Amino acid sequence: MIERLVASASSYAPDIDGLILLIAVLVGFWFLLTEAVFFWLILRFRARDGQRAEYITGEEKSQKRWITIPHLLVLVCDIFIVVGAVRVWYEVKQHLPEAQQTVRVIGQQWAWSFVHPGPDGRLDTADDIKTVDELHLQKDVTYHFELTSRDVLHSLSIPVFRLRQDAIPGRVIRGWFRPTKTGVHDFQCAEICGIGHGIMAARVIIETPDEHAAWMAEHAPTTSLAAAAVR
Amino acid sequence: MQAMTRRAAVAALLAAASVAGPAPRVAAEDADRGATLFRYCTQCHGEQGEGNALALAPAIAGLPAWYVERQLEHFRSGIRGRHFDDIAGMRMRPMSLTLRKEGDVAAVAAYVASLPPADPEPTLEGDPARGQQLYATCVACHGADGAGNQQMNAPPLTGSHDWYLERQIQNFRQGIRGADPADTFGALMRPMAMTLPDDQAVRDVVAYIMTLPR
Ligand code: HEC
Ligand code: HEC
Ligand SMILES: [Cu+2]
Repeated sequence: MIERLVASASSYAPDIDGLILLIAVLVGFWFLLTEAVFFWLILRFRARDGQRAEYITGEEKSQKRWITIPHLLVLVCDIFIVVGAVRVWYEVKQHLPEAQQTVRVIGQQWAWSFVHPGPDGRLDTADDIKTVDELHLQKDVTYHFELTSRDVLHSLSIPVFRLRQDAIPGRVIRGWFRPTKTGVHDFQCAEICGIGHGIMAARVIIETPDEHAAWMAEHAPTTSLAAAAVR
Repeated sequence: MQAMTRRAAVAALLAAASVAGPAPRVAAEDADRGATLFRYCTQCHGEQGEGNALALAPAIAGLPAWYVERQLEHFRSGIRGRHFDDIAGMRMRPMSLTLRKEGDVAAVAAYVASLPPADPEPTLEGDPARGQQLYATCVACHGADGAGNQQMNAPPLTGSHDWYLERQIQNFRQGIRGADPADTFGALMRPMAMTLPDDQAVRDVVAYIMTLPR
């Protein structure tokens, strides 16, 4: 339902959307119900000729029930929300499925840079592909990301993946995602990081295996060039 | 295409205005616009475009309008400031993208050009005597006085900070600047930077540039 409004393209996006929907439905139900009761009470006990106002202390059992029963029911709803939230948090942030590929994501004032493993599939080798503004991924591959910052706090926030993670200078933060649909999507730094924060944007490009291989072939540094770059 | 011709027309108008003596109203409005736009740049480049080492931002005051315009266009299109290792350039690139309206670039460039050039103190250790010999290669384009030469597309080098000159020459050497296939002007400069054999040679030639009169 939510993905109809906001495109989604990662394996855990439906879990996050499900959680948000669960919270929206439970909280929305109580919101509508309490507003209805509220207005009904206002109408039902409105000022009438010849009727004196009465001060209610709310200490009688019949009155307290208006609080205790909804309170207990809301607590029951909370249990559903907490259990759902912990499950999704564990799935998205705490457990790390085996990586098929690892990419490095680097924030700086004011651009995102990326290191992709080249054809050899490993980082920190001569065929790594370094880009600015563009993260190239292959559909249906489980990625780990290593998130770092070159200067201040930034936040990697990729709405289509339903992923948000702060980047902290001096730390390498590891996480994961698995793109499930091809396409091109924008994303944008989500932690105020200076004058250029508002235009610190980049784009994720999710490709089929063939497209990804073609991109890699086109951009992987040839060994001689790579050697020159290292020099 | 139409945008290009219009931009060229604006540039021509500006150029005409600058030789034609008493400035017509168009140019005056443009100068206002340039000053307004420049307020944003002072965050890093300083009130008078004198540069700020902490922000990695060079002195730009008094750079010729054609050069400023070209650099801004290069930043905007990603020819400059979009290399993985270009820490400083990536700070400037988004700023260039704030110049969104037709004629913004020309207006702010004209304003930058009108500012009095800075005269920064040297901060690097280098041997100006050895630098002078190395500078022989540069004369053809940047001039013996380092004042630049529009015919050769080469900007002035005096009035810049030594740390900025060093960084740019290193960027040219390492392909961080001037290596983009679309960077025809950087392509002229890159091989020249390659003629400097090592890091000390870069510092020496910069030390010599710092001795040139502003
Ligand atoms: C956030 C800080 C910041 C702001 C704001 C900023 N700049 Fe810059 N600018 C830089 C940095 C850093 C560099 C150096 C880039 C490099 O080393 O390659 C630079 C470089 C330049 C250059 C290249 C100078 C040369 O000699 O090649 C020009 C021209 C320039 N800026 C113009 C502007 C203008 C015009 C504005 C206002 C619209 C502006 N800048 C706003 C940080 C900034
Ligand atoms: C063939 C002509 C040519 C020669 C020779 C040449 N340059 Fe350049 N230089 C250029 C051009 C053209 C540019 C502008 C590049 C651009 O637009 O990005 C430039 C830019 C530069 C810049 C960047 C200035 C700035 O404000 O960002 C520096 C520094 C520089 N040159 C230093 C040197 C030094 C030092 C030498 C001698 C070793 C040298 N150049 C020789 C053509 C030349
Ligand atoms: Cu940021």
